[in-house]
Amino acid sequence: MRPIPLWLKSGRVQTGLVIIAILAICALFAPWLAPNDPNEQDLLAILAPPAWADGGDALYPLGTDSLGRCVLSRLIFSARVALTVAFSASVGAMIIGAFFAHVAGYFGGWVDWLISRIVEIWLSFPPVILSLILMVGLGTGLRNVVLAIILVDWTRFCRVLRSEVIVLRRRDYVSAAQLVGFSHWRTITREILPGTMPLLITLMSLEMGVAIIVEAILSFVGMSVGSETPAWGQMIADARQNIYEAPFNMIAPILAIFFAVFGFNILGDGLRRTLDTRLTQTERT
Amino acid sequence: MAYPILSARGLCVESLGGKESFPVLTDLNFSLEPGKILGLVGESGAGKSMIGRTISQFLPHGFAVTKGTLQFGGEDLVGMPAERRRALLGRDIAFIPQEPLSGLDPVLSVGQQMKEHLHRIGLAPGESWRDRALKEFEAVHLPHGAALLEKFPHQLSGGMCQRILIAMAFASRPRLLIADEPTTALDVTIQARIVKLIGEMQKRDGTAVIFITHDLRLASQISDEIMVLYAGRPAEYGPAKQLFSAPAHPYTRCLQLANPTISGPRRGLFILPERMPGLRVLKELKGCRFASRCPNAIEACTQAEPPLLPIGPDHIAACIRVEKTPEIVPPPFAPGRAATSAKAHLTAEKLTKTYTTAWSPFGKRSSFKAVNNVNLTLDEGEFVGIVGESGSGKSSLARLVVGLDNPTAGRITLDGRDVTANGQAERAFRRDYIQMVFQDPQSALNPRRRIGSIVTQANEATGLHNSQRERADRAAELLKEIGLPADAALRFPSQLSGGQKQRVNIARALCTLPKILVADEIVSGLDVSVQAQLLDLLLKLRDEHGFSMLFISHDLSVVRYLCDRVMVMYRGEVVESGRTQTVFADPQHPYTKSLLTAVPPDDINLQWSPVAAEAGYQVE
Repeated sequence: MRPIPLWLKSGRVQTGLVIIAILAICALFAPWLAPNDPNEQDLLAILAPPAWADGGDALYPLGTDSLGRCVLSRLIFSARVALTVAFSASVGAMIIGAFFAHVAGYFGGWVDWLISRIVEIWLSFPPVILSLILMVGLGTGLRNVVLAIILVDWTRFCRVLRSEVIVLRRRDYVSAAQLVGFSHWRTITREILPGTMPLLITLMSLEMGVAIIVEAILSFVGMSVGSETPAWGQMIADARQNIYEAPFNMIAPILAIFFAVFGFNILGDGLRRTLDTRLTQTERT
Repeated sequence: MAYPILSARGLCVESLGGKESFPVLTDLNFSLEPGKILGLVGESGAGKSMIGRTISQFLPHGFAVTKGTLQFGGEDLVGMPAERRRALLGRDIAFIPQEPLSGLDPVLSVGQQMKEHLHRIGLAPGESWRDRALKEFEAVHLPHGAALLEKFPHQLSGGMCQRILIAMAFASRPRLLIADEPTTALDVTIQARIVKLIGEMQKRDGTAVIFITHDLRLASQISDEIMVLYAGRPAEYGPAKQLFSAPAHPYTRCLQLANPTISGPRRGLFILPERMPGLRVLKELKGCRFASRCPNAIEACTQAEPPLLPIGPDHIAACIRVEKTPEIVPPPFAPGRAATSAKAHLTAEKLTKTYTTAWSPFGKRSSFKAVNNVNLTLDEGEFVGIVGESGSGKSSLARLVVGLDNPTAGRITLDGRDVTANGQAERAFRRDYIQMVFQDPQSALNPRRRIGSIVTQANEATGLHNSQRERADRAAELLKEIGLPADAALRFPSQLSGGQKQRVNIARALCTLPKILVADEIVSGLDVSVQAQLLDLLLKLRDEHGFSMLFISHDLSVVRYLCDRVMVMYRGEVVESGRTQTVFADPQHPYTKSLLTAVPPDDINLQWSPVAAEAGYQVE
């Protein structure tokens, strides 16, 4: 049997993976886990408190919102949007960012200069404003949310990875690969990419947390998915009017966002600690 | 007899990690008198640095002194309270580290660090730290002291940083100085000056010095006494002159013979087989630690650990067959086939390379001429050495020749074909004709590839013979040629030792059977025994495959041993070239002279007096 890889032994990674697994189960099995239809309105029981409070109803474990929709069911269904956005946006941003990072870092010269300047200009826009503008242009919908986040956040990957590529580019084994006649493409994929992979994976898990927050912000201002699809940001927005009568309607989605982002961040941190070669070298000495 | 400043009695250090404990240092006895220099010599892993760390009680986690005593000026260093030790360290016991740059804090200026240090060790009443710092700088011949205080470590050369560290170490007039390979990271000419400087300062203050080095010749030149360590135990301990001129322990003798000479007739190198036994093996070992590699070992050697027996006055050695040691002789010098035909394989004419700063549409780009008007020819089967200090353009020249960089001006031909343009066709031609062996095995081998995949990388590029089967076969062939076990093919570079990695590095270059190898400092940073193995391997491979080689090195004795011709480079230009024997016996250029005198002489009775290069060839 193969030994358990080092990164899986880290408590942080394990915690993060458990949290993400819980979220994933919620998202995948939402119709079976949720006690009610998330969009069904029970106008006789609007703003019901959670089941354990006075006047709570066991039918709605976490109470209902101002339209009488089940908060728990909406929370569970919202995990679908959150995770879809987290995974596809971070993968997309990673692919674009990593591509430009490797091109810039490997070839250097004016290519590097041009890509770096574009990234700098891109980064000088406030990211939320930029994604709002993009959403206005693209229109709402899950696909466009993902697209907006990718277009905003690829620069994050590009910037960090580029410096790593430059470090690896100067290694003698890259020169050796050129001498035995490797093409540029092969040198990048076979010699450099395996070296940047740990950083890439780490960045991706951190990016998932960021994507969840950005999606929450967009849905809070109503620029994300339509109102028929539940999303955490939307739930916060809906709960604003009744914040004094039903504070739990606001607290529940905030906790859900916190929980998800915490999970991705602690996973990313754990991966960084175990996979980052620079860090392990300093720890060894 | 003076009272010893430092004495160890039966000192043992063990690593206690996990359930088992392993001996790291065994039964160490020595005493060091004030004003004397003790040289600690041995291969890496012999426990040299561990002694320094034991004295400072900076042992790595899990290591502890388990037996014996270590006394400093009558005080017990091992059992003393931490507070007392802190008071001693840096004041009465000073250190000079191996890496001068890591010895200084990169974010503080030299002045700030000097001020902090001087305040810690205490200033005379009414004395300002600045005056004192300038005085200390003057003592170590550092010019422009006032300007130096404003500088940061990265703005200074390695030699300058080492001088500053020496000034700091001697500022407190310490009673004991521990110098852990203080010159290994420096150029030869600077090494000579640093060593002289330590000697000079040591005489001024009457400081006792522990000088840790892997270079027996260097140690014997500067030390009063030498202790040769093998696998954590002293093999031989005695007066430097006596030990070097008539080594009693076979290990000392082998170390001496593994190092090429710098003068006189060339002799073969004694090849110490394999490596020092690891901690795990040592624990089980009954007999002499050196027996497995010793040319004189007999049955009795493997039965019991030999005691340290007296050989002469103050001279002891752990060998039961001391009388046989002088019988160990180097093999005859057999360079194999030298240049056979006069047909030039490689020629470079008026090669020039100018480096400019990174591309930017704004601002001026500054440029620097790394290689200037170099002419070079390499005949079939010939080994040509290129020597010079760091920054002399040796490596830049290598990169031009193999085609990693394009020359700014000049012409390169390989086998009569002009490859200066370095386009697709030229690259393809070069690939099968010229290959490079890189300097740092750490950086030259992709840590995520297996050895078998690294050595047959060339097949991957061409797609020829690229099936898994063919590559495995070729890898097995190559590993056999370079003397690695066949199962190494499945390992990763991190699982090999430095010497083994360098062998893999050579195997990769040999995969396509090129006619020319370019080797850039491939034996620097390796133990003498490993160095001898590699040099021998190169000569053997030349016999088999008949390639020629450009051998770049800062180590003159290695070049003298290996190369038929030599070129001396200084600031991008070739200042002298010719047959190795002629150039080394009768150097013409002042820079060549200063390089040669910087190497400690083979004969211990000769005065080692490194001369400064003449004006215009200032080396630092």
